[in-house]
Amino acid sequence: MSFTEWIFLFGGLAVAGPVIAHLLAKPRFRRLPFTMLRFLRTGQVESRSRRKLRDLLILLLRCVIIVLIAMLFARPLLHIRLKPSESRSVHCLGLDNSMSMAYSDGSGSYFEKLVDSAVDYIRSSRDDALFDICALASGDRMQGLGKEQALAEVKALKIEPGGTNVADFLSGLSRASRAEHLSDNVSVLVLSDFTPNTLRQFINVAEPAAVNRIDYESIVSSKPVNNAAIAGAHVVGLADGKLTINAAVVNYGQVRQNRLLTARTGANKSVPIDINLSANQRNIYQVQLDVGAAGQQPSFLPVELSLSDGDGLSGDDTFYLAVSIPGDEGINILLAGEGENRMFLLKTAMDTLSRTSSYDALRIKQVPMSEIAPSDLDWADVVVCSGITDRLGDLASNIENFVKAGGRFVCFVTEVVAPGAVKQLWQRDILAALPGNCISERTYIQPKPTDSLAPGVDHIAARSLSNYRIDKVLLKGCLECEPHPDARLLWQLQNGFGLVYLKSLGSGTSILVNTSVDDSLGSLTKSNASVAFCRYLLGESHQVDEYCFTRDERIVLPMSARDHAFAGQEQVWIETCDGRNRRAVVADSSLLVPDPAGIGWVKTLGKPTIYAGVNLPLDETDMTKPVAAELAGVMSRVFATGTKSDVTKAGVFRDKKNRPLWKIFAWTLILLLLAEPAVANRFKR
Amino acid sequence: MDLVARCAVEGFFAGLHPSPFHGFSVEYSDHREYHAGDELKFVDWKVFGRSDKLYIKQFQQETNTTAYILLDSSKSMSFAGAGSVSKMDYGSYLAAALSYLMLSQSDSTALILFAERVIKHIPPRSRRTHLNIILTALQYNRPAGQTNLAGVLHTIAETTKRRGIIILISDLLDDEADIFQGLAHLKFLKHDVIVFHTMDHQELNLDYEGLIQFEDLETKARMRAFPQSLREGYRKRVSEFLDNIKKTTGNSGIDYCLLDTSEPLDRALVAYLAKRKRMM
Repeated sequence: MSFTEWIFLFGGLAVAGPVIAHLLAKPRFRRLPFTMLRFLRTGQVESRSRRKLRDLLILLLRCVIIVLIAMLFARPLLHIRLKPSESRSVHCLGLDNSMSMAYSDGSGSYFEKLVDSAVDYIRSSRDDALFDICALASGDRMQGLGKEQALAEVKALKIEPGGTNVADFLSGLSRASRAEHLSDNVSVLVLSDFTPNTLRQFINVAEPAAVNRIDYESIVSSKPVNNAAIAGAHVVGLADGKLTINAAVVNYGQVRQNRLLTARTGANKSVPIDINLSANQRNIYQVQLDVGAAGQQPSFLPVELSLSDGDGLSGDDTFYLAVSIPGDEGINILLAGEGENRMFLLKTAMDTLSRTSSYDALRIKQVPMSEIAPSDLDWADVVVCSGITDRLGDLASNIENFVKAGGRFVCFVTEVVAPGAVKQLWQRDILAALPGNCISERTYIQPKPTDSLAPGVDHIAARSLSNYRIDKVLLKGCLECEPHPDARLLWQLQNGFGLVYLKSLGSGTSILVNTSVDDSLGSLTKSNASVAFCRYLLGESHQVDEYCFTRDERIVLPMSARDHAFAGQEQVWIETCDGRNRRAVVADSSLLVPDPAGIGWVKTLGKPTIYAGVNLPLDETDMTKPVAAELAGVMSRVFATGTKSDVTKAGVFRDKKNRPLWKIFAWTLILLLLAEPAVANRFKR
Repeated sequence: MDLVARCAVEGFFAGLHPSPFHGFSVEYSDHREYHAGDELKFVDWKVFGRSDKLYIKQFQQETNTTAYILLDSSKSMSFAGAGSVSKMDYGSYLAAALSYLMLSQSDSTALILFAERVIKHIPPRSRRTHLNIILTALQYNRPAGQTNLAGVLHTIAETTKRRGIIILISDLLDDEADIFQGLAHLKFLKHDVIVFHTMDHQELNLDYEGLIQFEDLETKARMRAFPQSLREGYRKRVSEFLDNIKKTTGNSGIDYCLLDTSEPLDRALVAYLAKRKRMM
């Protein structure tokens, strides 16, 4: 028995209390003259001994109660030694079924050799032996198998398009070992090609596993390895309908590679590029793929980059890269100002922004505020108003429809706002904040946004605003704004009022900027930060993007505002790499794919189709052969056998279990507490 | 003391007719009609001569017995449990009552107070004024010393020349065999022996609770105990003690009467005298 909180055992010293009390206590009695003492004498001897017995018993009971309380606080654990059972042979087989095992040197694949070795091993074992089989890549684990069952499982094993996971195997081995007894003879067999990736995982194992015997076999070819793979690919850009992709090709073997690299999407195919790589050489090749009309409109393109045949492993010759193309549609911006001069600064910033090549084409139209027509709202994607005038009140319903349809309504303020228009816009939930009185108090802007996670704004631009030292921009005043319950405060002034409020309405966004476009309330649009601020307001630009993941990565796809079909949905049906349909969860404008189930394409089943490419982990098919001495050292360190294992046996092969005793102690304590007064009273009679 | 004795005895007489005691002297009491079978020597011929009717003369018999009242005055007799009257007082009342009773019948009455030895000896007299002497002695009597009942009984047996009634009032807390020897000595001398065994209610039952240190009144011995744990054995032993006394006195022709001081005195007298009547 041991104690978790042994310090409480010192509480047992409190038994000194009742012992001292027992020693010091004098019985309380009354004196009584009596005559017939001779009739009492016989009983008196009995009474005194009985009283002594009672006192001792009560003292003992109280001491036991105190000790029990102390032990209860110390949380006792009882070590139960398990009964040794009959000695058995338990064989734990770790079989590597990762993609690298599909390599073939012409005389059969590594995996076929692995299966043959495993079958031979099982057949050579005792008939009553038990087998635990763990597939290192898929993580499948079969425990307590008989000989025939183990043979069947090994033969049914398939290659998993992914990398090995040694940690799962070892933790499973430890768990299984705990269930065995010390008398069991535990043997481990590891069959793998021990690629650098796999070997690195074995090297990083922190705690060795104690076994009785370790066998391992490095399944490698005696011939030079012939394997090349596409290790990665990135989109460089999209110009003139041609998608430029950089692909990294690696020669993982010792044989020189002369291959052809081709990119393909649908029926479109790139011009093959010659690949010439010497042993272990890595190079980047640029491929241009004509995407045709697909580049004119927003779309997802599944691009497959593949190497021509010519090595021993074809599984790593294809790379899956999903490309998101925004299309060449520009953004129509309607600048509505009370006067032409008032919008001058903002228009200049917008013009500057439209000239930057990395951003969408901006088409800007400027109209006086009083002349805004409903047709202007139909044309525009973004409407920027210099203030809130009566005209906006007249167009309140049109603006509401405009925003709900996905438009972006940006409204600056002036010292005076039209209350009627404000009321109209507020009642229709268009305004992100309700402007109030003007405060003529100089203030500055906070250096960083208050809410950096809010969708609908360009966060890269927000970071660049910090570089432009937006906190140095002086504002002459601001309006007292009361935010809408559904609105988010994105940026704050140093005097505590908000600068930028954002509110979603339907598919669109409404933004209120608590300063003026001219310098009447502040010099924001006059400052160097004006262009970055415009970009911040306009939201994320539509750039060519790519979505490719490795097999062991969590696949998270962004669901942009353009994907209206998924708006309001919590689950989306997707097709995973194995061709099966599964549900994916939509959370925070992202699509979370639970398990890609292989390598290849993950795509949504509804329109628009969103793709994600799933590829092998980096360097998974690096076929560099392990050095025998290094491998032996690693395995002897990971699997401790013989005398060395004695140290870890206690942790891994526990021959005893710990059972908490607090319940027994608590019940005993309760019984003693009940018994103590009963004993005391019983002996007084 | 006088009042207590008078009340006890006269209360007792209210329900009785002739005295059960008989003596040699005869005193006229009343007349009644002659019935066949009456002795002719008791016919009053003078009345027959005047009225020509046969009447029988009735006589009140007088006694001339000597009663020796032995009152135990040892320290143990001072015990009074639970605030009741002490055994000494109870015994004194009883002695006074019996003295009143005896002297009213013109019996000579003696009083002997004793503990380890005879403390006071009032010789027997039959005068009515003798009662005052007895009552005074009883009033000023104080319990002291240890009991030596057997020795006292032998002393009295040796010094008493005339046969009579020996009335022993004691708690009999002495060696039982010695007591019986003393009583047998008296009985051997043809005394009529009556033993009034006065016991306190607590002595009989031990109805105490809690831890008590008992202190012997005579020996000053101490003993600490829980009475509740001893009660059962104590009662058993006391019962055996009483049974033994009762049995031994019964076998010796000695009248034995156990008196509980918690009971009224007249009830004890009634019980005893009724018993005496049945015996005669």
